[in-house]
Amino acid sequence: VTQLAAFEAQPHAEPAPVWTDKLAGAWAFIFIECLTFSAYFVIYMLYRMHDPATFSESQAHLNPNYGVVNTLILLASSWQVARSVHAARTGQLATAWRRALLTVVLGAAFVVSKLSEWHAEITQGYTFETNDFFAFYFFLTGIHVVHVLIGFVFMTVGMYKLRDDDRSAHALEIAAIYWHMVDFLWVVIFALLYLMR
Amino acid sequence: VSQAVEIKLFRVWLLLSGITLLAWWLGSDEHAGRSAAITYSALLIVAVKVRIIVVEFMEARRSSKKLQLAMDAWLLLLLGALAAIYGLKLDMPPV
Repeated sequence: VTQLAAFEAQPHAEPAPVWTDKLAGAWAFIFIECLTFSAYFVIYMLYRMHDPATFSESQAHLNPNYGVVNTLILLASSWQVARSVHAARTGQLATAWRRALLTVVLGAAFVVSKLSEWHAEITQGYTFETNDFFAFYFFLTGIHVVHVLIGFVFMTVGMYKLRDDDRSAHALEIAAIYWHMVDFLWVVIFALLYLMR
Repeated sequence: VSQAVEIKLFRVWLLLSGITLLAWWLGSDEHAGRSAAITYSALLIVAVKVRIIVVEFMEARRSSKKLQLAMDAWLLLLLGALAAIYGLKLDMPPV
């Protein structure tokens, strides 16, 4: 309520996130996820330097267009969830709910695009067992998609909380920072699998 | 809903998408031979994009200065480690 009052007093200033134990817990979880993925990324780089020729040759079989489109989809979904949080904080819960739904739809588009990319790779004969590069490719993209699916759970809770008796935006804020983390982890994976040489 | 915030979020998204297209162009066949330059540019682009997401979308800095510091330290350590392994050609012996 004080947050809303502050917003109305100063219509051009965005209310700052309220630092609560739940938000601190969410950030601690984000930090642990970042460290876990960092270990995967470092191990990937060590394996890559062990056999750069195989990694480069295998990487050339990936279609970078999938990587770019997937990145653009996730960035758009992050934008929508940020807009959703903003609407929720200003008390416009119906708008917030619609934007959260759009976020989830874009997340689903990412998953569909990923499945179609995997299908293309597998039908060309590239699987987890082809070599170390493809093992990392399927592992990193696979564990990342699992995180998108976890993001759906967080978003569903956030959207439910907008509409239940509490009419609270707090769960949505936590879902949003998780969703953004899934987005930036993909940014790193995109660079490591598709871009670096 | 504040128009100023909406415009800010739109610009952040536009910037992130623009940087992504730049990365795409970097990775195109046009630059096939220049491997180390491409790799370091890709890591730099990651640093810029992740930091924009953490600051503008996740509002880390607005939530807590210490949190922003922790995220910056993590990003610097991760990308520093990746660049060092790549630059020094450290490899992992087969397990």
